[in-house]
This record gives sequence, C-alpha cells and structure tokens, in this order.
Amino acid sequence: MTITPQMLGQVVISGILAGALYAMVALGLSLIFGVMRVINVAHGPLLMLGAFATYFLYHGLGLNPYLGLPLVMVVMFGVGALVQRTLVARVVDAPELQSLLLTFGIAIALVNLAQLAFTSDIRSVEYLTASWTVGGFAFSKSRVIAGVLAVAITAGAFLFLGRTRLGKAIRATSQSPDVALVCGIDVDRIRMITFGLACALAGAGGALIAVMVAIQPEMGQIWTFKSFLVIVLGGAGNYPGALLGGILLGLVEQLSSLLLTAQLSEAVSYVLLVLVLLVRPTGLLGGRAT
Amino acid sequence: MTPVLEVDGLVKSFGGVTAVDRVSLRLEAGAIYGLIGPNGSGKTTLFNCITGVERADAGRVLLDGRRVDGLPPWRIARLGVGRTFQTIRIFPELTAVENLLVVTEGDWEAACARARELLATVKLERLADEYAGNLSYGQQKLVEFARMLMRDPGLVLLDEPAAGVNRTLLNDLLDAVRALRDRGRTVLLVEHDMKVVMGLCETVFVLDHGEKIAEGPPGFIQGDERVIEAYFGR
Repeated sequence: MTITPQMLGQVVISGILAGALYAMVALGLSLIFGVMRVINVAHGPLLMLGAFATYFLYHGLGLNPYLGLPLVMVVMFGVGALVQRTLVARVVDAPELQSLLLTFGIAIALVNLAQLAFTSDIRSVEYLTASWTVGGFAFSKSRVIAGVLAVAITAGAFLFLGRTRLGKAIRATSQSPDVALVCGIDVDRIRMITFGLACALAGAGGALIAVMVAIQPEMGQIWTFKSFLVIVLGGAGNYPGALLGGILLGLVEQLSSLLLTAQLSEAVSYVLLVLVLLVRPTGLLGGRAT
Repeated sequence: MTPVLEVDGLVKSFGGVTAVDRVSLRLEAGAIYGLIGPNGSGKTTLFNCITGVERADAGRVLLDGRRVDGLPPWRIARLGVGRTFQTIRIFPELTAVENLLVVTEGDWEAACARARELLATVKLERLADEYAGNLSYGQQKLVEFARMLMRDPGLVLLDEPAAGVNRTLLNDLLDAVRALRDRGRTVLLVEHDMKVVMGLCETVFVLDHGEKIAEGPPGFIQGDERVIEAYFGR
C-alpha cells in the first residue's frame, strides 16, 4: 500500500479532531486529580450517562443532539456535584487507594444500574451520518462537529480556569489545598464544583460521541482508559498537558491505523503509555507533585 | 472591653503527647504580642488550633467574643484572621495579583483595585502579573504578606516572619507590622529572633512543653527563671 500525502493529510486532520475530544474529556479527569488527588475510574461511565441522556432527549423529545448538549452538561454537572458531595467527599483526604476503590465501585454501580434501567441493547442516534468532501478529503460531519465543539468547550473551560475568580480558586486549591483553606477558600465547595465541572466535560463527550458510536452501558470504560492515557502523556494535574496529550493520542491512533493493521494500532497507544511511564513518568509537560 | 482573641484552657494532644496543655491567652486590640518557646513547645499547634486547621480536644477559642473553635479554617479566615507561614506558602502557578484575588469574595473590581494597591505598598506593582513561583524568596514572602492583608484581618498570626529574610526586607516587614498595630489591628507572632521580639512586642507569652509558663513585657520575661530554665536547662 502506498501512502499518498492526501491520505496523510486526512489522517492528521482526523487525528486532531479526535484528539480535541480526548482532550476535553481528559481535562475533566485531570481537574479531579489536580484538585482532589482522586483518580476517577468512573469518568467513562459518567460519559456513558451523557450519551444516554442525549439518546433519550433525541428519541423522547426529538431534541437535536447538539442543542441537547448544554442541557446534558448542566444535568451532568448536577450529577457530578451530587456524587462528590455524597460519596467522594468522604475519601478525599484518605489514602489514595480508598478513593480509587470508591470510584471503581461507582463505575461498576453506574454500569450495572444502566444495564438495569436501559438494558444492554445497542442503541444509536441517527443524526448527521453523511460526510463533507473538501478538496479531496472526506470528513464525517459528526466527527468534524464533535471536534470543533470539543475545541470550543475546552477553550471555554480554560478561559473559566484562567479568568474567573472561581477558576483561579480551583487552580489555587489544586496547587495547595491547605493554604487555600487558611486563606478563606471554601475548599469543600471548590471540590464539589470541580467534580461537577469534570462530569459536565465527560457528559459533553458522551453527547458528542452519541451520534457516532453505539450507545450501550459499557461504552464508557474505554474512555476511562483513554482519558487516563491522555493525562499520563501530558502530566497528571497539568491542565494544558491534557490538551497536548489528547491531540497526541488522537494523532497516534489515526496514524497507526493508517500505517499498521487495525489490531496493532489499538496496541500502539498502550505501548506509548508504557514508554511515557518508563521514560518520563511525570508526563511530557510535567505533572504536579503532591 | 471584649478581647480580639481569647484562648481559654486549650488542650490538643497527638497520640500520647500533649502538644498544647491548658493554654489561655487574651489579646487586646491594637497591640503586638509575641509567642516564644523552645522547638516543639506547641507554638505552631496553637496557631493551628486558633485558625481551625487542628481541632482542639478541649477549651475554647473566641474571636471578638464569638466562639470559633470547631469552625472550618476558611470560615475563621473570613471572620478576619490572617496568617502567614514559617515556610512561604503561595500559589506558585498563579500570578502575584491572582494570589491576592483568589482569597476574596464580593465586588471583583474593588478586589482588583485593592490587590494592586497592596502590591504597590510592598513595592511589587511591577511584578503583579508575574507567576509567583518565578519571584525571589523575599518577593514571595511579600506576596504572602500582602495576600494575608487582602481581607483586612483584625487578627494577624505570623509564624517566624524574620526567618530567612535579609535586613532590608526584615525592616520593611517590621514596619508593616507596626503599621498594622497603629491601625488598631492585633498581631501575634512566633519568632525565634529575640531582638525582633524584644523590639516589637508589648507582651510575650512563653510556651514550654505545651504549657504557658510565663507572660509579660519582654524585659520581664527575660529575667524569668522558668523561661531561662526552659531555654537553657537548669
């Protein structure tokens, strides 16, 4: 097989589009880790909830999945804040293994509850199935829109973190929670908001992929792994690092699927994970020490 | 008059060690108090109990006559207790001005104006938008001090303000502390440098093994037998 520049260009653009989505979802995971030192294994299952919400809004109310996106984010913010306040808050200051076990439990519970409530049937949102052809490149419409919206939402999240008082307080808390506390920052509230925000980002991911992939209760797990991979690549708790890691993962996946067989390309991301952990365990941009 | 801070019979133990043992203090408005004692005598633990970082096992802490023991640290901070640390604690990945802004509530414009003004009073206005982690040790100390002043606290707790600070900066800090007192604020400082304590404090409390063993003007404290014994042994 010869690889034309055309093919390479298409793969690079697809990689960046996919990477933007990875970056957005992984930013949520990174925020939770940065502010709470909690590895949220339930991040993927929360994304799955976002996809189901989009499905039911589409099939139940006939709501356009992209118009439903803000609604899904708001609902998922509430779900996240609730999960944090009722469950995660109890283990935030405990040894890391406890929070890992808790979020693992939440993940299992969410998947099983979804199976109970929605069954394991595979569902889909048939919307925007065609492609755009631009200068010889063909791009699936849903992937382009997902990539563009993910960029916009991620940019919005960074503006929020950088410019607003609440965003600055979130960054301050992730740099030094005990100092934030003594300075008068209500750290419990910051943690709740951060978890809500992270779930809104996961929910947005679920809404955006609802139109591309099969919706079923176990669709989320792979996203937990991918998000984890992204933040390890970029540096855990390093928020711009999630951006770099996401784009990198998107590119690596797309390029390896072009150059290698499909089975091998799946493995490449994980080889990358192992390599980064071996060579530069703090991530490419450096993580944040506790 | 109601004291600004009243600590009454405070006890705090860690395992079998009593770090603070039935300590009582009364701090009046507009005065500078010193808290001295050998290492491990319970000074920092006492600070932690006053600011809510540690919960006391027994005793009461009253701020302007209101009980605050049991409140979370952020509430106590909002009631007007400012604190600096022995080792500088700033938010390194926020700019100098952001370090001051994150601790505020309410009107944003007013907070921005106050933050710039406070940075100007410590001569850091030109570095306001620099990441705090890139500043020198002395500058970081000033950022921490300015951040502590953002809420205009009625009670200021300073943990070794003179540690690791050069002469010029120390004089600036001491002037700032005196200025606080002159505006009616109350200062309680932990300090090992006796010259600083003697030159600054009107009243000194001496802790040893968690107990308050003496209290009085610096000159009086220096001659106290129990104090000499605590520092130099019998």
